[in-house]
Amino acid sequence: MTFLPQKAMVMSEKEEIMKKFAEASSESDEDKIEEALNEAKELGDAQLIAMLKLIRGVDIGDEEMCTEASKEAVEAGMEPYKAIIDGLAKGMEIVGEKYECKEYFLPEVLMSADAMYAGLNYLLPLIPTEEKGSKGKIIMGVVEGDVHDIGKNIVKAMLTATGYELVDLGRDVPTDDFIESAKKEGAQVIAMSTLMTPTLMSMKSVEDKLQKSGMKDEVKTIIGGGSVTDDWRAKIGSDAYGKDAMEAVDKVKMLIDQIMVAVKKMKETE
Amino acid sequence: MVYKTVPQDEMTPYDRIMTVLAGKKETIDRLPVFNAITTYTLHGMEIFDAYWPQAHKDPEKMASLGAALHELTGLENVEVPFELTLEAEALGIEVEFFEDKIKWPSVKRYWVKKIDDLKIPDRPEEIRESGRVPIVCEAIKILKKRYEDRVPVLANIDFPFQSIGGYIVDTATWYKWMRSEPEKAHDFMKTLTPLYTEIAIAYLEAGADAITYREEASSLANIHPKTFQKFVKPYLKDSIARAKKYGRAILHCCGELWSPNLENVSGLIECDPDALTVEEATPMVEVRKIADELKGQSFPIGGNLSAFTVLYQGPIEKIRDRTKKVIDDGCDMPMAGCDIYMETPTEHIKAFVNAVLEFGTPAPWRRG
Repeated sequence: MTFLPQKAMVMSEKEEIMKKFAEASSESDEDKIEEALNEAKELGDAQLIAMLKLIRGVDIGDEEMCTEASKEAVEAGMEPYKAIIDGLAKGMEIVGEKYECKEYFLPEVLMSADAMYAGLNYLLPLIPTEEKGSKGKIIMGVVEGDVHDIGKNIVKAMLTATGYELVDLGRDVPTDDFIESAKKEGAQVIAMSTLMTPTLMSMKSVEDKLQKSGMKDEVKTIIGGGSVTDDWRAKIGSDAYGKDAMEAVDKVKMLIDQIMVAVKKMKETE
Repeated sequence: MVYKTVPQDEMTPYDRIMTVLAGKKETIDRLPVFNAITTYTLHGMEIFDAYWPQAHKDPEKMASLGAALHELTGLENVEVPFELTLEAEALGIEVEFFEDKIKWPSVKRYWVKKIDDLKIPDRPEEIRESGRVPIVCEAIKILKKRYEDRVPVLANIDFPFQSIGGYIVDTATWYKWMRSEPEKAHDFMKTLTPLYTEIAIAYLEAGADAITYREEASSLANIHPKTFQKFVKPYLKDSIARAKKYGRAILHCCGELWSPNLENVSGLIECDPDALTVEEATPMVEVRKIADELKGQSFPIGGNLSAFTVLYQGPIEKIRDRTKKVIDDGCDMPMAGCDIYMETPTEHIKAFVNAVLEFGTPAPWRRG
């Protein structure tokens, strides 16, 4: 009788520190960050400390801190997948928010993405193969004629953090490569980006070819980038438009859920 | 819709724009029908038989395409060149041209890591002979001869901050340098700015009446205004000051430059261009306020019609309404805020021209 409430209390204290730390990070309140970190140390929970360091490492763009904290998390017995989602991805989410409210800009976001990848490089190989890519697979690239890939790279970082498997075709990607890669990889989503207006047409080419290929039921498309609008999405018949990296992640989740539901239904009727 | 011939008033398009850029807009009869960055469309390409990639490489074709919208719609300026890799190419970056009506040239997938990887001339003047710079100069001479002082001839360059991040150094690496290796970022800006300035001066000496600086990496989507102050402003201000000895300088920046708690409109204006042009993400009313405060009402501002949702998509009624709105908001040079979309129907540009004539005659400040 006394055991259960006590355990619940410890859990909630841990959660409270997590919450406080995340809030403090969002507000860039250095004193509160320090305070939460000290509370975690007092509690003596190695997993919690590692997690906070992962969030912090991504937030301030510190690669070393992220690699170290990843090791510490695993040594403390944490599931690598959990360290990614609750640590690295949470940090990236905070960075995304700070970019949105103009506290962070490209230099900061890119340093953060590097820090996140440093953590991923350590953690991903520890995840059993059968668990990888189970959430969904995304083909992504900057369309033919454009080399501006910064937006694409940020979206890629956010999606990787949330557990999707990414196949990055890079920049200036020929139309056919998107289709062939989606076919070969069995991907659910093709994500395309362009900054410039002259290359908007390249998005239409991919969409047209995909529709002609009859793969549209299994493969959805999402578009984004400087010159892209929701009107353009409607015009070319793409499935989603992400106005920024955060929205792109939400929309990709939505698309993959849709496909998963449709595939499940199809299997049931069979 | 019938295209009204631009009235042959006492002022020529050249007089009108040059007067506005001289900071004396009070004396013009009506607003200029202007575009500081794009003066062509796909239709123009077909009519004047000036396609990519020849229009990037052949001065005659370049001149014809740069005058396309002036000839087809009465837009009151002509302009060359048409894309963003030209400066990088002049520094030795390999550029790929496409046999495609829409696509601009692009750089090969090769990014430099240090200044020495570039072809830096011993003397800055030598850059005038590099890449396609002489071709653009030739095209400017052709346009100047063809239009004399009736229609202003514009040229544009990409300022190094945007050009380096877009076509020279890997974009992510470039932005990270602002934080991780600031000396390296300054090194690139310090070395490249005089060269790009030299290109601007070469265009002005060839006969261009004004040069548009495209510095589109300076929006709030990319960098904090403080970063702009450090890594862009000193160089841009210096370059503009030098170019202004040879002609007028317009500064153009796409992207969001204003939000309720942060803005970089003032940063750009502080670089002392003769005019500032912006896109639809930046509210014209706010640009007007800041310009009035910093430079006074005679400082000309331009923009910010959406090149896509207004000019390309139309319909004509919307183009008319939006043009009226930007004029009401204090815009002196209504224009597309970003590059005109290649497939924009000529009718839409004509509607824009007519709307400026309708709502910009007489100039707002001449109304009783």
